[in-house]
Amino acid sequence: MNTELLLQLTINGLIVGLLYGVIAMCFVLIYKSTQVVNFAQGEFLLIGAWICWATLVWLQLPFWLGFIITLAFMTLFGILIQAIFLKPMIGEPIISVIMVTIGLSMFFQALMKWIFGVSAQSYPQVFETSTVTIGGLNVELAYIMSLIFSFLMMAGFYWFFRYSRMGLAMRATAFDQQVASSLGISVSKVFAASWAISAMVSATAGIVMGMVNGVSDALSFIGIKVFPAVILGGLDSIVGGVVGGVIIGVLENLAEFIDSQYLHVGNLYTIAPFYVLLIILAFKPYGLFGTKDIERI
Amino acid sequence: MITLSMRPCGDFRTTYKADTRIFETRFILLATILSVVALCFAPLFLDAYYLTLFIQISYLGIAALGLNILVGFTGQISLGHGAFFGFGAFASAWISNSFAIPVWLSIPLAGVLTMAVGMMFGLPAARIKGLYLAIATLSAQFIIEDFFARAEWFSGGSYGAAADPVSLFGMNFDSDQSFFYVALFALVFMYLWGTNLMRSRDGRAFVAVRDHYLSAEIMGINLTWYRLLSFGVSSFYAGIGGALYGHYLGFVSAEGFTLMMSVQFLAMIIIGGLGSVQGALLGTIFIVLLPEVLEATVSLIGSTGLMEPGTLVENLAYFKEMAIGLVIILFLIFEPDGLAHRWKQIKSYWKFYPFAY
Amino acid sequence: MQKTRILKASVIAAAVGTLLTMHANAKEKVFVGHLADYSGPTAAVGKHYADGIKDTLSWLNKNGGIDGTELEFESVDYAYKVPQAISNYKKWTSRRDMVAMQGWGTADTEALISFASKDKVAVFSASYSGHLTDPTGKNPKTKKPAPYNFFYGASYSDTCRALVQWAKNDWEQKGKSGKPGFVHIGDNHPYPNAPKKACAEYAREIGFDVKPPVVVSMKPGDFKAQCLSIKTNGANYGYVANLGGSVVSLIKSCDTVGTDIQLMANIWGGDKLTFEAVGEGIDNYVFPAMTPFWTDNVPALENVKKIARSSKRDDSFQTHHYIRGVCTTLYMAEAMKWAKDNGGITGENVKNGMYVKKNWVPEGMEGVCLPANWASDDHRGINTVNIYQAKWDNGDIDVGRISQVELPRRDDWLGY
Repeated sequence: MNTELLLQLTINGLIVGLLYGVIAMCFVLIYKSTQVVNFAQGEFLLIGAWICWATLVWLQLPFWLGFIITLAFMTLFGILIQAIFLKPMIGEPIISVIMVTIGLSMFFQALMKWIFGVSAQSYPQVFETSTVTIGGLNVELAYIMSLIFSFLMMAGFYWFFRYSRMGLAMRATAFDQQVASSLGISVSKVFAASWAISAMVSATAGIVMGMVNGVSDALSFIGIKVFPAVILGGLDSIVGGVVGGVIIGVLENLAEFIDSQYLHVGNLYTIAPFYVLLIILAFKPYGLFGTKDIERI
Repeated sequence: MITLSMRPCGDFRTTYKADTRIFETRFILLATILSVVALCFAPLFLDAYYLTLFIQISYLGIAALGLNILVGFTGQISLGHGAFFGFGAFASAWISNSFAIPVWLSIPLAGVLTMAVGMMFGLPAARIKGLYLAIATLSAQFIIEDFFARAEWFSGGSYGAAADPVSLFGMNFDSDQSFFYVALFALVFMYLWGTNLMRSRDGRAFVAVRDHYLSAEIMGINLTWYRLLSFGVSSFYAGIGGALYGHYLGFVSAEGFTLMMSVQFLAMIIIGGLGSVQGALLGTIFIVLLPEVLEATVSLIGSTGLMEPGTLVENLAYFKEMAIGLVIILFLIFEPDGLAHRWKQIKSYWKFYPFAY
Repeated sequence: MQKTRILKASVIAAAVGTLLTMHANAKEKVFVGHLADYSGPTAAVGKHYADGIKDTLSWLNKNGGIDGTELEFESVDYAYKVPQAISNYKKWTSRRDMVAMQGWGTADTEALISFASKDKVAVFSASYSGHLTDPTGKNPKTKKPAPYNFFYGASYSDTCRALVQWAKNDWEQKGKSGKPGFVHIGDNHPYPNAPKKACAEYAREIGFDVKPPVVVSMKPGDFKAQCLSIKTNGANYGYVANLGGSVVSLIKSCDTVGTDIQLMANIWGGDKLTFEAVGEGIDNYVFPAMTPFWTDNVPALENVKKIARSSKRDDSFQTHHYIRGVCTTLYMAEAMKWAKDNGGITGENVKNGMYVKKNWVPEGMEGVCLPANWASDDHRGINTVNIYQAKWDNGDIDVGRISQVELPRRDDWLGY
């Protein structure tokens, strides 16, 4: 057994998995507070990555400024999307809401292709050195930076949800919309805030993906890839999202290890998470950390 | 889902029997028969372009009805319908090629085979609901797609599979004109059967599971069995649709049965109307004709010479894609009950003019 | 059936009647359909190829068409969707009397094979699957003969064989001993899989140690895991079977991980725009081309630039996909010329026109388009592959031709 390869793949899985976790968290944030499953999450990443790319390449701005502009834009974007397209859908069946987000994803996919073209583009060099070595594996510095940034954001969220007024309001809304609104919480503000935060964090993840792999229209596929992570963790658990992401990341890499060393099936890397998902759902229908839906008659 | 059971004004029944008629009135029955008869003469007057659109509507419409039985009538969500459609196409080609079974028989057999696969992937549905189920069927989509590319014995792998034309009594249905009749027969047969199913005990059980599964269970409906059955019926329809598609093209390639296709089926039934048999057909017509209408608009603008045709095609390509996304969104916001509901409203408006409300 | 026949007959009679009366003053026209992918998943390369075709068709018309017959054409963006491809094809055959079609990818080409052979429409595509090269079904492996399908270029399998042959030479020239390792890197989909088996068989035949294929998604993402497998499984030469963003991600990931594998791309896996997107990671990247590069010193390229200029396109650079589009269209035009002199431009005559000449190059394209040989039982038009290499050179990409491989026309390779 090639332990060195196993170790490197595990490290890789952990790092990539954490990024999945961050994206999964964005998903859960929206679902928890607004009960919308956002199939356009991948497009949020794509739009963030393209906007930042445009500020760096077209406007020639320094990275920190471009980054801030992107975050500001995405905040606004998230709020607008919610207000224009999802507010009218409150109270409609889940399937219709899902379909609206799928429609949004089709729309923005085409819009991005129209504005930025269909060829892949690369980010200009942002960090001095592009890679660092961890346990014998070269890892892009952008990942490490993004993970630090994500951890800071998660700590911020923790504080936000725990102590701030808005955060408490969001938790209350997530717990019971009707009760929250009858207590004077502005539900629509809460909805807007969660979309804004989610769009902003997704954009960060998108920028990292762009730096590491280049930006192109298919980047948004990561939005679909993260589904197993979200479901694995349980749709409404933020911690679950992150744990699910890490599990899927490591799982993919272990599948690759078993595939390339022993089985030679090919494609286990992409398909294994979906098999595992089916198996886990058979035993734990609400994911690992999801709230059980207890129904009374 | 409450809105689905609301009827427009003036639509009242006095007996339970009236509630379970396939054709609500004698006039509708006559109109249906007349339009089917009229369609039989269509190949004499319409060119291959219209015929191919009709054929597309019929094989996609059959599959869309299947999805509507699952999503609209039983309240389960599936994001893997496109893969089942593809499975039907490959299965029929495989059955007729490797066992020398005539094509007219291999199409229903492919439906049965797809039904078995669908029920296998529907097993989780016994326990999970809502979004968890949506994602479980998403897994089915990816797993089956991977299977197409891998299983050379079944699908021919990357070489694809050849599918013989339908032939019956020495006649080959291999042109648009002749395949039109196969498609028409299949469409009418499957839709009648679907409508009939929905008024039977099983169909009413589906609706009960959708509306309130706890009450349904208390009434003695076996939830697990009916959820599974619904997956089975839906996959059967998808399989038949896929098989027709395969034998129409004469060749099945593993490309094309993607998540996008599954999403398109969902778009059809949502636009047409969840939980409505005619809605499935209306939605299919809408989704099939939408790109054609947009395309025609593009070439119309091109022919006016206002824009240089070269750049026009390039730019409008993206607008076309955006328009499809936008139409879906607008439909859901402004017409959430779908075309079928709107149709009923229009009908009752004229029926009781000027007293409709 | 009787009714349709009567109807058909009357339609034909009417058509002939109008033709006879119109013939005197109307300009002769034939219709060519053009399916392009500008907005779908393969648009990154599809756009350039489609531009080449469109520009050439309008250039031909500006220069008198096919000996005076105008080429009417319509370019349609079908976004790689099969239903759109079918309905456009039907519209064109039934309303515009299409004689030839310029198609694009694997999906639409394969969906239209049986229609095209029944309707006798010559289909030129950019889907280079090996099984399209067997028009009569000689090879027992061919599932469905495709008598009306043509493409300009070596098939995916043949291109991969050429690259493997080059790799063998490269290995020997570098004086290395032992068996070199070969690996196929691509998604589990019809297009990347097309040459998988055929190429592995040939690699084994000429003394490669063929490693189990590595599956890399067509959707870009982080491929470090796959690159780690490539690094440890001891492959020296890797065939990259994907295209666009996925290739960019793959090269970047492998560069980060530090593999020392020689990557060799398929025909869609390497062009200047891809290299620019990768940037530094491009290191001796080998890719095939069926034409010279835009910047190569070939006199006839001036004619390609003329075509680009006539459609007001930037003539400082176009990808080799563009030039391949030009060549494909010009071969079709030459076949149409022959058809015109031999019974009129119909799909069947265009098809036969492709077989007439041997070792032929469209007029004015010597050195740009490779000499071609199509035969009625062998649609492998091109059996030569130009092999190029790209290198990152401090902010610039150096591209140069390193070899030209000519493949034998082996019977067991027909349609495979």
